[in-house]
Amino acid sequence: MSLITPLFLLGLLGLALPWWLHRLETQTTEREKFSTTRFLEASKKRIHVQRKLKYLLLMALRMLFLALLAFAFARPVFFQDPTAAVSEDTTHHVIVMDTSFSMREGDNLEQARSIATSIINNMGDGDIASIYAASTSVTTIAEPMPDGAELNRLLATVEADNGRLDLGAMISALNGLIEDSDANFIMHVVGDFQQSGQAVRFADMIPDVINGRPVTLDVQQVDTTVHANWTVDSVIIEDRSTVIASIRTFNAAAEPVQKAVSLMVNGEAQQTQTLTTIGNGVFLSQFDNVVFAEGDNRVNVSMSPQDTLAEDDVRYTVFDNSPPAPVLLLTSDPASLGVTYIKAALETAPRGYQVEAVNIADLDMRVMQRYPWLIVDDLGIVGTGLEAALRDYINGGGAVFAGAGPRSGSLTALPILGNQIDAVAASTRPAAQQITQIDTTHPALNDSSGWSSVNVRAIPFTLTPEDRVLVAQSARSPVLIERNIGAGRIMLFASSLDNSSSDLPVKPVFVSFISEVAQYLSNEKLLVKEQVADSFLQLTLTGGSSGQVVDPDGTSLLSLEDTTRDQDVQMNKSGYYQVFTPAGEVLVAVNPDIRESDLTLIPVQTLQSWQSIVAGTALETTNTLSTISEVSETDQDEVELWRIFLILLAAMVLAESLLGNRYLNMKTGSF
Amino acid sequence: MVATAQRPTANLLDPKVLASLANLELVAKAVVEGFVIGLHRSPKFGFSQEFVEYRAYGEGDDPRYIDWNVFARTDKTYIKRFLGETNSHLMIMLDSSASMGFGSNGVSKLQFGKYLGASLAYMSSRQHDAVGVMVFADEVIEYRPPTSRSGSLQGVIHTLDRAQPAKGTQLNHPMSRFQERIKRRGLVAVISDFYCDTQELLDNVRPLAMQGQDVILFHLMDPGELSPNIKQSTLYEDMETGHAIEVSPTFMNKEYHERIQAHIAAIQKTASGMNADHVLINTGEPLDKALHSYLTFREKRG
Repeated sequence: MSLITPLFLLGLLGLALPWWLHRLETQTTEREKFSTTRFLEASKKRIHVQRKLKYLLLMALRMLFLALLAFAFARPVFFQDPTAAVSEDTTHHVIVMDTSFSMREGDNLEQARSIATSIINNMGDGDIASIYAASTSVTTIAEPMPDGAELNRLLATVEADNGRLDLGAMISALNGLIEDSDANFIMHVVGDFQQSGQAVRFADMIPDVINGRPVTLDVQQVDTTVHANWTVDSVIIEDRSTVIASIRTFNAAAEPVQKAVSLMVNGEAQQTQTLTTIGNGVFLSQFDNVVFAEGDNRVNVSMSPQDTLAEDDVRYTVFDNSPPAPVLLLTSDPASLGVTYIKAALETAPRGYQVEAVNIADLDMRVMQRYPWLIVDDLGIVGTGLEAALRDYINGGGAVFAGAGPRSGSLTALPILGNQIDAVAASTRPAAQQITQIDTTHPALNDSSGWSSVNVRAIPFTLTPEDRVLVAQSARSPVLIERNIGAGRIMLFASSLDNSSSDLPVKPVFVSFISEVAQYLSNEKLLVKEQVADSFLQLTLTGGSSGQVVDPDGTSLLSLEDTTRDQDVQMNKSGYYQVFTPAGEVLVAVNPDIRESDLTLIPVQTLQSWQSIVAGTALETTNTLSTISEVSETDQDEVELWRIFLILLAAMVLAESLLGNRYLNMKTGSF
Repeated sequence: MVATAQRPTANLLDPKVLASLANLELVAKAVVEGFVIGLHRSPKFGFSQEFVEYRAYGEGDDPRYIDWNVFARTDKTYIKRFLGETNSHLMIMLDSSASMGFGSNGVSKLQFGKYLGASLAYMSSRQHDAVGVMVFADEVIEYRPPTSRSGSLQGVIHTLDRAQPAKGTQLNHPMSRFQERIKRRGLVAVISDFYCDTQELLDNVRPLAMQGQDVILFHLMDPGELSPNIKQSTLYEDMETGHAIEVSPTFMNKEYHERIQAHIAAIQKTASGMNADHVLINTGEPLDKALHSYLTFREKRG
């Protein structure tokens, strides 16, 4: 027997505690009846140390409890010869097939199947095997069974997918899948073992000790030859007319290779260019004067001739050619600096907005209903008629983002909101102060970094219970508030939107802030239209909480019942997913993870180390069952004793309680 | 006074010895006979049976003492009187409160009180006195009016024998009941530990003295109450209230002793103030002190 963490034995020093406590005694030990207590006077309880120990059995129990606790933390283990266990118990062959995207390369998958078949056919009498497919997630192909024919039949159904294999995640998932079994495990991992699949922490690749028995690892690499690979790793559209394709090469020789790069938009071939690559690196191919349709466009770039991993020679992307969303900005001066700042921020936002600045003197109030939200650069310019119209607009579900410029400071109350302005404080023009409080839970303040350096001279006003303070300089100095009115809402920035009273417009955080405000007030949710395989599509992000999803093969993924509910749909195929929701059609392009295109292999030495650490055996690229068995017999299984200690500790607690209670009951007698 | 240690029958007055006699009547007889044997024959104490005179029969007198010869000759009923006979009433009032159940030497105060009460009744019965008994705690538990009729002694002793410790001590109710029922002058022996306020005692016993009753207070105290000896702190539970209090040995050996002596002195002073006799009895000691005190008291008052 040995201890894994012997330092915890220092806890045995705690044994002195019960020894000391049992020497302490309060004065009261006897309870007796007396004729009358009218002449008695209560004495103070005093604790004193006596030489004689009391309640020896209880003390022994407590000391034993502490000793067990210290030993449990020290993790005692004893070693047993696994050969006897293996010969007596069942051996469970866990066959893990790498089905990640890179297994599409060449005949990798066929080789993997062949190795797995060999493992199944060489199982010993009484052995069982199970088959798992490992990619982005681990799925069960065959439950543990001894039937070799059935296992081979199920093995034939294994296909490579578009996911990415992380060996750490794979081991973690397998630990959960096989932890309930009592058998001795030999884990056969069959795959190409790309370097990109190695876990960041090597320790994550070590399987757990299961039921006191270590897992023996058998690494089966399908091909040790490193192949060169070309892939289209990204496609960027600039200026709504230029497409730039990025071609990346892995493990390529330092000699020129010519590739024909073709662009297709909405299924129609647009242009083809010849690109020469030399060695490893990134090579760009640019297509000019490309014409896109309005809305989502299917843009894919492919290259030929194809290499051994042909599936990553094409890249799918979606270009949203929708016009910028219009935003109404009400101002007293469309040429003011504040309008310029807001325009610049909104037009550079990812969604793209077109700001329509309108002088309130020229405003036809009926047009406000066309906009989901609008901006008022200074709430002080809002007159009585416009105030009523804005109130109706908000009540009806509209949203307003307003600044409080110099005109607001001259008022006694804020229009629309009605908050009282401290005229005296406003007229003294206090110095600008830094932001100290930010409500980062608000959707418009997701990116709160940079706010702390903003200085604002805010208009002082009183808060009402309906106001939610989002940004403040102190408890009484709000800078940004929000209030729900009717079905809509208004957000007020308590300073001007130019840089006369605050430096917010000239800070980097202004662009992200205005962008998030626009997204929040327009109730839009950003959907990433290009995603990696096996990621999940949230229907709520497409503009509707229900709808139908059609995969690249034209198959509807949701049943009729599912279309009425919010769904997360896993996209595991390369190509375009069409999402039909009440808000319209949305396209999402799906491509394999670029790391799967890097066919660089984990060095053999690393694989040997991995296998050695787990099972103490050397890597064999052929069937290694016999070798593994021989080597593992030299090892000894560690069996941790903490479960036994836990049961003993529980028994100690129970016995201590019972005995302690018995001693606590004071004796009652007559005097 | 005769030293009890010199008497061969002194062990019969030892409460521990008496405790082995199950029959209270036997106890009373053993106590009184033993006590009498130890006394010198003296008419002063009135224990002779020598004829003195005839007296007209009155209500309450035992018909056994009617001289039928005189009745045959004169057609009138006379009873014989003997030397030492006073023909008075004795009312024994026994406190049976819970605190009387305390005893540290094998005999509780109530048990001792029963022995004492029975002995007094037996002694009085021998002198043809009418004997009554009242067992009380916070109220009258049992009452038997004084009578000298045949068999009354057994009744009194059985009443005493049935007494069990219960509840607390309150003198006002039993005393007022006593005053209501007893109009004739006589002797009243109150056997109690007197764990009550001295003012309460004064208020309740003084009317008896005013009524003409001769009152003797037998103040029973256990040795464990008079001089407790504890080695470690002890949680004492009040037998009447159940209230528990933790007491140190230092307190019990010093301050408590002073307090209990002060209480006894206060009771004594109160008794003296209302012309009653107070006899402090240590229940660990033989009964002869009590009986001697009673005879002295009776002689003094009779």
